[in-house]
Amino acid sequence: MQKVIIIRYAEIHLKGKNRGYFERVFSVNLERALKGLKHELHRLSGRYLVACFDENRTEEICERISRVFGVHSYSVGLETGTSMGELFEAAKVVCPQEGTFKVDTHRADKKYPKTSMQLNAEVGGYLLSQFPALKVDVHMPAHTVYLDIRENATALVFSKFEAGVGGMPVGTSGKGVLLISGGIDSPVAGYMMAKRGMSVELLHFHSYPYTNDGAKEKVKELAKELARFSHSARLTTLNVAHIQEEIHAKCAPELNVTLLRRFMYRLAEKFARSIGGQCLITGESLGQVASQTIEGITSSNAVVTLPVLRPLIGFDKDEIIAISRRIGTYETSVLPYEDCCTVFLPEFPAIKPKLSFVEEEEGRLDVERLMEEAFASKEVYDLNEI
Amino acid sequence: MIYLDNAATTRPDAEAVEAALPYLHEQFFNPSALYSGGVAVQGELRRARASLLSYLGDGAKLELVFTSCGSEADDHAIFASARRGNAVTTAGEHAAVFQSFTELKNRNVEPRFAPLHKDGSVDIDALLTLVDEKTTLVSVVHVNNETGAVNDIASIARAVKAKNPRCIFHSDGVQAFGKLPFRLTNDIDLYSVSAHKIGGAKGTGALIKRKTLALAPYIFGGGQEGGLRSGTENVFGIMLFAAAAKKKFASIDADFTRLKGYREKLFSLLEKDIFARISPEDGTPYILTVAAKNLRGEILQRLLSERGVLVGTGSACSSKHPTSRVITACGVGKEYINGVLRFSFSPQTTEGDILAAADAANGAARELYARTARS
Repeated sequence: MQKVIIIRYAEIHLKGKNRGYFERVFSVNLERALKGLKHELHRLSGRYLVACFDENRTEEICERISRVFGVHSYSVGLETGTSMGELFEAAKVVCPQEGTFKVDTHRADKKYPKTSMQLNAEVGGYLLSQFPALKVDVHMPAHTVYLDIRENATALVFSKFEAGVGGMPVGTSGKGVLLISGGIDSPVAGYMMAKRGMSVELLHFHSYPYTNDGAKEKVKELAKELARFSHSARLTTLNVAHIQEEIHAKCAPELNVTLLRRFMYRLAEKFARSIGGQCLITGESLGQVASQTIEGITSSNAVVTLPVLRPLIGFDKDEIIAISRRIGTYETSVLPYEDCCTVFLPEFPAIKPKLSFVEEEEGRLDVERLMEEAFASKEVYDLNEI
Repeated sequence: MIYLDNAATTRPDAEAVEAALPYLHEQFFNPSALYSGGVAVQGELRRARASLLSYLGDGAKLELVFTSCGSEADDHAIFASARRGNAVTTAGEHAAVFQSFTELKNRNVEPRFAPLHKDGSVDIDALLTLVDEKTTLVSVVHVNNETGAVNDIASIARAVKAKNPRCIFHSDGVQAFGKLPFRLTNDIDLYSVSAHKIGGAKGTGALIKRKTLALAPYIFGGGQEGGLRSGTENVFGIMLFAAAAKKKFASIDADFTRLKGYREKLFSLLEKDIFARISPEDGTPYILTVAAKNLRGEILQRLLSERGVLVGTGSACSSKHPTSRVITACGVGKEYINGVLRFSFSPQTTEGDILAAADAANGAARELYARTARS
């Protein structure tokens, strides 16, 4: 008898002929999540089994499993032989000692000499004899002892289902570039896309010397927190200070933010193409700030051809904050470092910039040269080393 | 690198570190241990304590409690003294005092804050009007850490005690200890100091108290520090503190005069159409605070750092805390409020450093004007 963790996956079974591919990616992701912790990962039909781990670190292993996209649910249980004595013993370990309960048997091994009903009755009877405070209730039991009789003369015995994070295995839905600021929204946007299986590359714009290194450290911290889910390996940064200076010097002040965003989109697309990225991901939410109006979004979209995914577009701030708290990025997001210095912020930003006016103002700038310059400021941080 | 942020922390003095190292290695014993090694260390701590006290006053009348930092000393003094009624301090305090006073509200003590003069020193008349028969504590910073203004705490303490002889007078002396020639008077009950502003290490401070003052313990436990602050003593930090202070006090007058010259020299070299002076001439020679017109101190600080000069600043580039609380309390004008730079010196500062720093500051400010100009 040994302690095991049974992992069930979500949605992968829907994928027909691609199932093998999805399962392979899923198991690679599970291995990556458990890296550094002693364990063995076995694939059973329709589920995975973590075995041979240090039982003192069960909680830590469960915590990591709970963050892997594609995990529908998991259970800590026992793997044992299929003799009645072994089943009794295991059931006794996982079953609470009081309250109502039932036994629920599933037989993958249809040659097993006893039927599910017989096993339910015999194991239930044994548990009642061991724990007098238990009571059977087959309709609304407080506890259920599950017996899963496998084909290789082993059985899995457990009593609880823990919900996984759901979604699809990261890496099965292409690659996108997340424009990550130091705020609350963008890490959540990255989380949402990773949840749907997308590999997320992280790109951050800073404007040193107008923003400080503390702000960059904060983004690194956020990137690391997001990477616990997304397994993003790198954070890339670009300096847009000189672009801001040029916009400030030459263009209408109310368009400062609009024009800067167009540069950010262009740079992000250029970066995406350089690494095989298929889309941009932003944390925009309609109407949240002056630049996130439909006119603002139109003016930014006009400079790129890759699709821009905005998973938070219809979310209220409260909803975004709730996810941010759940995934653990909120506390870092609200640290007091500005991701964009207020030096260049106009007093009255244009809320509904007209595209023709934006293009006219942008015409005063040498877009190509500024892009090249910003791209040359590229710094890449390995998230495993920071 | 030219380091002119010594009010934030100083480089530990190499000789003092050398002198203290044996207490990290061979003499590692717990000072409470009863075998000879422990007893010997205990004796060394006693000597360190006495020598630190000797710089400030009569060792027979004073006690010194070692703490983990200046903030701990301030907190101990404040929360052990202000138990009821009201407590009076200034708008120019370091956060260690200011935030503790704010917390007093939650402990049913009314905090009162006296306004500042333009240079950062406290308005004494206003302070005295806040003191009444219900005042239990008055705390006045000795040297303002942002502007360098010196408060005459001996006179202030005397005036406070004349108005209410029963209240306790505390001063945060972190920026004064080892820098200003000064002796504690009988009216000053509590005084906080820190090691890392004078060549010691971070993690060591002390609260000095009049012996006759009864103070509640801050950390309960094994009864170290006369039962006021339990916990095994930071022997290495304390020995380093004592060695650094010994060296610092030996040259305190000479340093004072020389650095005052440097401070004036630096200000004279800064371009007057850019930089306005905030530090008063009669302030500590260790600090020169200026403000650049229509620029942000934090950005200037980074440009100076690129030019190899490290300085402090009074403001952060953050919309949540755009300006320093103390600088705002000084009434600095709108054009200058965000542009504060603090140059702070140590005995190691050279005339060459001053010339280079002035050059870098002028250059950085001109660069920033050019980069943020509208054409």
